[in-house]
Amino acid sequence: MVLQVENLHTHLHLKRGILRAVDGVSLSVGEGETLGLVGESGSGKTLTGLSLLRLLPKGSGRIVEGSIRLDGQELTTLPEAAMAQTIRGRRIAMIMQDPMTSLNPVFSIGDQVSNPLRNHNIAQGAALRSKVVEVLTQVRIPSAEKRLGDYPHQFSGGQRQRIVAAMAIGCTPRLLVADEPTTALDVTIQVQIIALLRQIQADTGTGIILITHDLGVAASLCHRIAVMYAGRIVETGPVRRIYKSPSHPYTQALLAAIPRLGEKRSRLQAIPGQPPSLIDPPTGCRFAPRCPARMEKCAEQPPIVQLADGHEAACWKLA
Amino acid sequence: MLRLVLRRLWQGAISILGASVIIFVISRLSGDPVVMLVPPDAPPSMIAEIRAQYGLDQPLVWQYLLFLGHALSGDFGNSYRWQMPALQLILDRLPATIQLAACGLLFSVALAVPIGVLSAVHRGGWIDRIGRVFAMLGQAMPAFWVGLLLILVFAVQLNWLPAFGHGTPAHVVLPAIALGWYPVAAQTRIVRSAMLDVLDSDHIRLSRALGTPERLIVWKYALRNAAVPLLTMLGVYFAAMLGGAFVVETIFAWPGVGRTVVEAVFSRDFPVVQAGVLFTSILFVLSNLLVDLSYGLVDPRIRDVR
Ligand SMILES: Nc1ncnc2c1ncn2[C@@H]1O[C@H](COP(=O)(O)OP(=O)(O)OP(=O)(O)O)[C@@H](O)[C@H]1O
Ligand code: SF4
Ligand SMILES: [Mg+2]
Repeated sequence: MVLQVENLHTHLHLKRGILRAVDGVSLSVGEGETLGLVGESGSGKTLTGLSLLRLLPKGSGRIVEGSIRLDGQELTTLPEAAMAQTIRGRRIAMIMQDPMTSLNPVFSIGDQVSNPLRNHNIAQGAALRSKVVEVLTQVRIPSAEKRLGDYPHQFSGGQRQRIVAAMAIGCTPRLLVADEPTTALDVTIQVQIIALLRQIQADTGTGIILITHDLGVAASLCHRIAVMYAGRIVETGPVRRIYKSPSHPYTQALLAAIPRLGEKRSRLQAIPGQPPSLIDPPTGCRFAPRCPARMEKCAEQPPIVQLADGHEAACWKLA
Repeated sequence: MLRLVLRRLWQGAISILGASVIIFVISRLSGDPVVMLVPPDAPPSMIAEIRAQYGLDQPLVWQYLLFLGHALSGDFGNSYRWQMPALQLILDRLPATIQLAACGLLFSVALAVPIGVLSAVHRGGWIDRIGRVFAMLGQAMPAFWVGLLLILVFAVQLNWLPAFGHGTPAHVVLPAIALGWYPVAAQTRIVRSAMLDVLDSDHIRLSRALGTPERLIVWKYALRNAAVPLLTMLGVYFAAMLGGAFVVETIFAWPGVGRTVVEAVFSRDFPVVQAGVLFTSILFVLSNLLVDLSYGLVDPRIRDVR
């Protein structure tokens, strides 16, 4: 296993109260595997990803419980300096997929792509330069050699996204977290870039976590899917199982909400109701207020039910 | 790029022309210079003769056109008081003013950038709070007051630095601080808010996620972004320095254009006033042009857009 997360709890200590953004998340990513972390906006996907890097909002964010192991090494207790020097950008890379804003507008892309390589002592001098050209070529930036001095605004949105990917793969991290914001405009660019990363993954064995709100995108790109709702993973399984026989009512609702070809439907209308507040979440099943299959027992925390090989869901209906 | 320069030069020429009209009219309205040049008991015929000699008996518009024509050929007339070309007088003093204004600006930026950056990085921390008090103090103290205070403390009491004159690097310290003091507060605010914006941006988040040391994030990757808004304002601040120089040069007996013009105003030495103000506005236009050209160096987007 590249990554093993167990019972992770990440809290944000806000003025309004304690926001339990990640509330008992367990997940794992194998060698060369792509895991899709799927859920509505605000379900805690980004904070799960940031927890892996221990890059939580300054002052308020804290991992309060649980373990994160990368190749067996515990990260929650690692000193901050070691996190910065040996983990972030070196063994775990996280990219936020907003191509328009993810690159620094006043530095050349040569500088930006070489920055992680320099900081982690991967290469220096002429070797650094050729390594930068190599990764840029790998992500299909045409005539990369000549474009090292160019600035982000001189590239298309798709190219910028690939440059961001180049920044992440340069140090051949063990785990790559690609966070696609719910507001992303161009899904095709996201799909292309993940497809590209998956090709690179075949050579390096890097594990990938793809964070998305779009179950359709996840289904086309991932080996396994973890569905997140209000800070918890409600269902995990191989992509075929999730797609063919979704078991948790929330997964079922998400799948039903994917617009089919030629059908126009707003995602917001798809699942009635709102996700619960994470400051004062309902006890028991968090999906209960919106669940069509709700029953009395659902006021207690649902058990995790093993359904088949690697397919599990947290729901009373399945118990 | 060339078109930008030409356009700016053209706009600059218009502003300088405007400045020349305003200063010409105002100086003529301020009174009759001949009265200052002749003995109190001079006969009217002598006054009239001197007026004719300097062209002061002509209609105002004609006087202005004459002035403009001569000015374009580099002739601003002779100083009534010093009996030497006004242009020569001003050009002799110009380097001292540029030196003072540049040092003043340097002082303010050298103070504003680190305070602004640290205030943003430690938002709400002690540097931020001290910075805010500092800013309030700065805004409440006019240049002449700061100047007098500096003279009192560092020249009179401590005797560390010279209070008056010009010549050694030590001489420029107090006047530069007096001049550069005022804009520090505003510049700190610009840097602070720009840094807060940048530090919250996606590309900085990405830099952090990829393990960039915090030192580089703040002083390299964020600061170059945050420098753009300050840089765009530097022309304005340089102009403020030139304006402030009139007061500060007078207090510190700094032999620059400002002090010369102030003295010329009191003696109604029109040619010197006109040449001085005109050259100050030329300096102003040139500094703005320089800034316009330089932020293309910092912000690559600007190079291509225009
Ligand atoms: N810096 C922060 N300050 C306060 N609350 C925050 C902060 N970051 C996240 N949150 C809250 O934590 C919860 C989880 O946020 P998170 O960003 O992980 O959601 P997400 O699943 O990534 O959503 P999206 O799909 O919109 O990106 C949300 O309720 C969000 O409002
Ligand atoms: S536990 Fe109950 S409320 Fe929750 S999803 Fe299952 S059936 Fe619905
Ligand atoms: Mg998110």
